[in-house]
Amino acid sequence: MKFPVLLSIFCIFIVKSTAQFRTLVLLDNQVIRETHSIFFRSLIDRGYSLTYKVADDSTLVLSKYGEALYDNLIVFAPSVEEFGGVLNVDTLTQFIDDGGNVLIAGSSVTGDVLRELASECGFEVDEEGAYVIDHLNYDVSDEGEHTKLVVDNENLIDSSVILGQPRQKIAPLIYEGTGLLADTENQLVLPLITGHSTSYSYIPGQKIKEYPHAVGKDTLLVAGLQARNNARVIFSGSLSFFSDEFFTASVQKAANGQQYEKSGNQDVAIALSQWVFKEHGQLRVKSVNHHKAGESKPPSEYTIMDNAVYNIEVEILNGGKWEPFVANDIQLEFVRIDPFIRTILKKTQNGSYEAKFKIPDVYGVYQFKVDYDRVGYTRLYSTTQVSVRPLQHTQYERFIFSAYPYYTGGFSMMIGVFLFSFVFLHFKDEDKKSKSD
Amino acid sequence: MFWYTFLGYFLFTYLTYGVQASVEGYISPSDNKKFLSVLIKSLSGDNVDLSGIYNGVIGLKLLNEQIGSEIAKKNCEYIQKSFKDDEDPEIIFHVFTAWSKLGCSGKIHKEDTLKFLRNVLTKEKSSLSDLRFSVEALKAVGENAPNPAKISQLLQSKLKEDDSLQSLGHALHASVHLGSHGKFALDRVEDIVVQLDEVNGKLLQWEGGLSTTSLLLTGLLNLEGIKPLTQIQADKIANYLLTRKTVQTSKGIVVLLEAIKALTSSSVSPVSIGVIGKPSVSIEKPELKVRVSDLLGSPLKPVPGPVVAVSATRVVDDVVVLSKKPLSAGSGPTEFTLPLLLDPDHYQIVLSAGSHTVNLHVRVLGPVNIKSFEIGLADVDGTSGTQLTKLDFPNKLTKGLQADSSHLLISKFSLSRSVHQTFLRLHSPKKEIIFIAEVDSNKLYKIEVNINSEFTYSGVFDMELILGDPVMSNPIKWNLGKIDINLGKTEPELKSTKGPKPEIKHLFRQAEKRPSTTVSLLFSILTAAPLLLLLILWLKIGLNFSNFSVISLPFHLGFGSILCLFLCFWLKLDMFTTCAWLIPLGIFTFLSGHKVLSKIANSKKSEKKD
Repeated sequence: MKFPVLLSIFCIFIVKSTAQFRTLVLLDNQVIRETHSIFFRSLIDRGYSLTYKVADDSTLVLSKYGEALYDNLIVFAPSVEEFGGVLNVDTLTQFIDDGGNVLIAGSSVTGDVLRELASECGFEVDEEGAYVIDHLNYDVSDEGEHTKLVVDNENLIDSSVILGQPRQKIAPLIYEGTGLLADTENQLVLPLITGHSTSYSYIPGQKIKEYPHAVGKDTLLVAGLQARNNARVIFSGSLSFFSDEFFTASVQKAANGQQYEKSGNQDVAIALSQWVFKEHGQLRVKSVNHHKAGESKPPSEYTIMDNAVYNIEVEILNGGKWEPFVANDIQLEFVRIDPFIRTILKKTQNGSYEAKFKIPDVYGVYQFKVDYDRVGYTRLYSTTQVSVRPLQHTQYERFIFSAYPYYTGGFSMMIGVFLFSFVFLHFKDEDKKSKSD
Repeated sequence: MFWYTFLGYFLFTYLTYGVQASVEGYISPSDNKKFLSVLIKSLSGDNVDLSGIYNGVIGLKLLNEQIGSEIAKKNCEYIQKSFKDDEDPEIIFHVFTAWSKLGCSGKIHKEDTLKFLRNVLTKEKSSLSDLRFSVEALKAVGENAPNPAKISQLLQSKLKEDDSLQSLGHALHASVHLGSHGKFALDRVEDIVVQLDEVNGKLLQWEGGLSTTSLLLTGLLNLEGIKPLTQIQADKIANYLLTRKTVQTSKGIVVLLEAIKALTSSSVSPVSIGVIGKPSVSIEKPELKVRVSDLLGSPLKPVPGPVVAVSATRVVDDVVVLSKKPLSAGSGPTEFTLPLLLDPDHYQIVLSAGSHTVNLHVRVLGPVNIKSFEIGLADVDGTSGTQLTKLDFPNKLTKGLQADSSHLLISKFSLSRSVHQTFLRLHSPKKEIIFIAEVDSNKLYKIEVNINSEFTYSGVFDMELILGDPVMSNPIKWNLGKIDINLGKTEPELKSTKGPKPEIKHLFRQAEKRPSTTVSLLFSILTAAPLLLLLILWLKIGLNFSNFSVISLPFHLGFGSILCLFLCFWLKLDMFTTCAWLIPLGIFTFLSGHKVLSKIANSKKSEKKD
């Protein structure tokens, strides 16, 4: 009797503990599993359960009975023209809309289905056969078309949340693949790795007749997207970027460059996988509290010009545990349609922030709003609605010096009436008496 | 010309028939170095285990490396300490093999262990891998497997239950040690070879990755009296194995090296022909170094024949530029050199070593010179003549260009030969715009930029000419100087939704200006004056309250308290409390007032009557 109960509790525990890490890996062929073993090994070591499938496997499903079977998806199948099973661009987009994270690697032969998926995410993949070429920054091991690029760390996104360390510390990367394009005005797209100014994306060996799709710094090598629902997508134009060969390769620019024993690919690829699967940069609000200065509980309403105190606790996911989040640029807005007040929240202790301010002299329905949207972090958004009412008549200023004439007028009138009524009622006219006499 | 094309065609058809291809890669010394560091770590790292020691020892033997006596001693001690007798046959096999290869003194095997192994070989329940490793473990200590006929039967019955690739592999390995009783394995060879999976048309492997592929390959090649694989299959398997050079574990390295060793020592040993270093030569150093070796980088035995460059064709137009040129021997037994005194371009070279041929894509690099370069501004409507300044590389414009919306930026240049990348890059710290040169029939490059249509905002840009090509030995990035574009509009700051927003402070309504205290004091006195005047006058006249009677006192008290209530209302009470007080006070005052008035009226009436 006891055993099944314990077993079921244990099962629930297992399901819970692996809930974030169910990952489907779609491959062009099973060899990729071996050529990219370091990358997969690092995922397994971090607790992911990987399910490898060939991309045109006819049994592919992402969800069953409305329940998602996987949290994350890795598509290392650049040449796939059509997915097997029920997978297509629509179901994949739906997967992202439902909060799933996707890591996609293309190559110079990126298939149509990945192109469509990329454009759904706001990227554009250069045409088939195109490579990113850079005649000034290529590796010594390049085969001759100058497509094996050496990418310096200054071309990485300047965000240590995404890279896991400051970008200056990262060794140059090797990249061989196609170029991506993204609309620079799209705020959701992050240019994770860009090409050098001298790079361009074109088909090697073909004369440049048309303007290349991606030129100079606009050439994206690896692009990221954090959707409005905080689902994350990374699209790399190169599958070999994640390969064991590139992870372990030494890097040296052909033009008299410094030699590095080991490329930065492993560091960056693993950091990117940590970011895209939300191991890094995931924020949440732990608690929100607001009250009048000198009190400790939220009032039923505020009066204009009260002194309000707002407290928020923010946490970040770090190695599977929620820890206090430390920052110095979290802002609080006090909003009635438009923000009336925007102020920096001051840190009181680790992960706990406070703002003190005077409520405006305009009454209405307001919101305390914290909207923290920074590169690499999930968007933190918290609103608390409160009403602010005008002063009661007893709360106005009572003794205004300029109004003394009114006060004296009023009171002298009252005293006068009182006295006059007394006099009027009880006065005895002497003359009348004498008349009657 | 025609003759060459014909020759090329002839060679091509010749090459596609009856000639064996080859592989390009091989296990290079740098790969060996990587393997070595992993293997040594598995012998002397912190978390050593029995299988790790086996892999380390076997791996080092395969690489022909010596094991230091210190390490050997340490590992012998470790094995002695942690080896327990009745573990599974695989561990026993690992221990026995490692023990003998390390050259440890004494005996590790006890009679009990051997009995255990012999027992495994008679049990129906033993798995195929148990059977194989038991046989091999006994072999490792110099014992023959007892009753090979029985084992052979066991293996066959097990295979009937489960003929997965792994099981087949183990059966193959076991069968080698069974002498004539192992013949059953030969019937399986065809079946196994058929199960090879082809990937991309270039690689062949068995499903299950490197370990399965290696297991089956070594098993097949160990069998005597057959030639299981064709040369093409062997080459493709070799290609697959070479893609797995990046294995990280000592086990992976051992299975990879075992497989490659088995291939190279077989009759279908793939020939590896590849370029040493980069597949390109420069005009100054035209010697192309070619390596002809087996997969492990050692010279071929027997030598397949002279190494000849059958042909070299230019990729662009398929013109044959070289044919049937023998390569001269280089510095090592595997090295050959071919001088390529050709114009800078891409070439396809067909090399043959005996019956093995390979297609190599080779580039001849050469420098590109800028013959002339001009840059300047012109009017869009062509009213005033263009003013172009001549520049020599690597000089800069002494004076920056001043352009506005009516200008065209024009640059013309010619090069010693055409290149792939001819970009003019205009950049400021925030922006980068790249223009591409067009080439006309006279090989003159021209860039024409209409300032008005290409730019929206003013700014100062640096101009840079970028020239690059796969066969250009001197890629050029030339800073030309500055251009100041004045369009009367400066670029607005781009607002980002990420990052802190500007602070907002609420502006509270200012209090209205109040009159000065003297004025209000004066008017207070003025408003109080009539009452004071009244009192003074009354005092002067003198008042006679003889009509007062005690009965009217409640009314005045009531009236007075109503007025006091009003004072309190002004000071602190709200409407509701005031009303609550006012109602009883009002009723009381009303009644008492009525009483006072009726009394007064009565007294007046009686007076009149009087």
